[in-house]
Amino acid sequence: MKTVLLLLSLIISVSAFAQQDRYQFDNKEQAVRFEELTKELRCPKCQNQNIADSDAVVAKDLRDKVLVLVKENKSKDEVIDYMIDRYGYFVHYDPPVTPATLVLWVLPVLIVILGFGFIVIRQRKASVKQRWSENDELLLNKLIAQNKHQERS
Amino acid sequence: MNRKLIAIVPLLIFVFLCVFLYQGLFANPREIQTGRIGDTMPAFNLPDLMDNNSRWTEQQLKGDVYLLNVWGTWCPTCLVELSYLTKLREQGVKIIGLYYVQGYDADFDGPFDMNALRKEVNDMLARTGNPYQFNILDLHRTLSLDLGVSGAPETFLVDKQGTILLHHTGDINPRVWRAKFAPLMQELN
Repeated sequence: MKTVLLLLSLIISVSAFAQQDRYQFDNKEQAVRFEELTKELRCPKCQNQNIADSDAVVAKDLRDKVLVLVKENKSKDEVIDYMIDRYGYFVHYDPPVTPATLVLWVLPVLIVILGFGFIVIRQRKASVKQRWSENDELLLNKLIAQNKHQERS
Repeated sequence: MNRKLIAIVPLLIFVFLCVFLYQGLFANPREIQTGRIGDTMPAFNLPDLMDNNSRWTEQQLKGDVYLLNVWGTWCPTCLVELSYLTKLREQGVKIIGLYYVQGYDADFDGPFDMNALRKEVNDMLARTGNPYQFNILDLHRTLSLDLGVSGAPETFLVDKQGTILLHHTGDINPRVWRAKFAPLMQELN
């Protein structure tokens, strides 16, 4: 019984802890925008986490800033631009198309086109080889006849 | 001929991948976080770390080439670079500290203990040497956020017009100084 109580109290305390970072919004739409933004913005300190996930000081500062901007009814793009002005393109998980990042967009398409092109060309070559004419038919029949003859003898 | 050429393609892809991944081994992923290069110093109005009565704004910093060094006593890498920064000061480099307070939350911690912080700073600088002309206190990290600072140490090189020319993440040591800062400093002087 004691253990059960202990476990229960542990579970309850954990859920209380999880509540501490709740934010207040004026309306549902703001809450949605805040959630989307904190998932899309990358923590500059721990680079493989978004700012919603990260516990770094800078991630908390960015969350707080996003909250302030969202409450000022700034649009999503305005908030993202605000962060990019300060932390560079790096801070957004969706890189813009620039000469430096062009390869990211072009390369996959290029590889798909090359791959399909390769398959199509090979297919064509193969179909050329398998063309069947009347002469081929005659030759085949002749060979079969010869073969049967040999087997019998 | 054509066949041979095609046979080489996988090898080429392999070599390309090797070069690409090998470079990645030595690339510093923190190099790219720079949003403020070429911009002027953002506007701010913050207190001096040591003096309650004086405040600093971006206008007061204009007119000199200076380094703005983001640091804190909580940061071990800052401790390492302080003595080298002090040497730079002796060579005539103007260094201004931006003190980055970490982990203080007004909602939880109550009023900020200014005297304890000043004592900590003085103790540390007494050990390592003091590279700073003065320190700006960024208690709520507002200027740090405007500068795109993600932690400490970070250093900005700012010219006489207040334009940010360089944003370095990590410590400054003789190697970094020679490679990144010295050429620009020479151009400016």
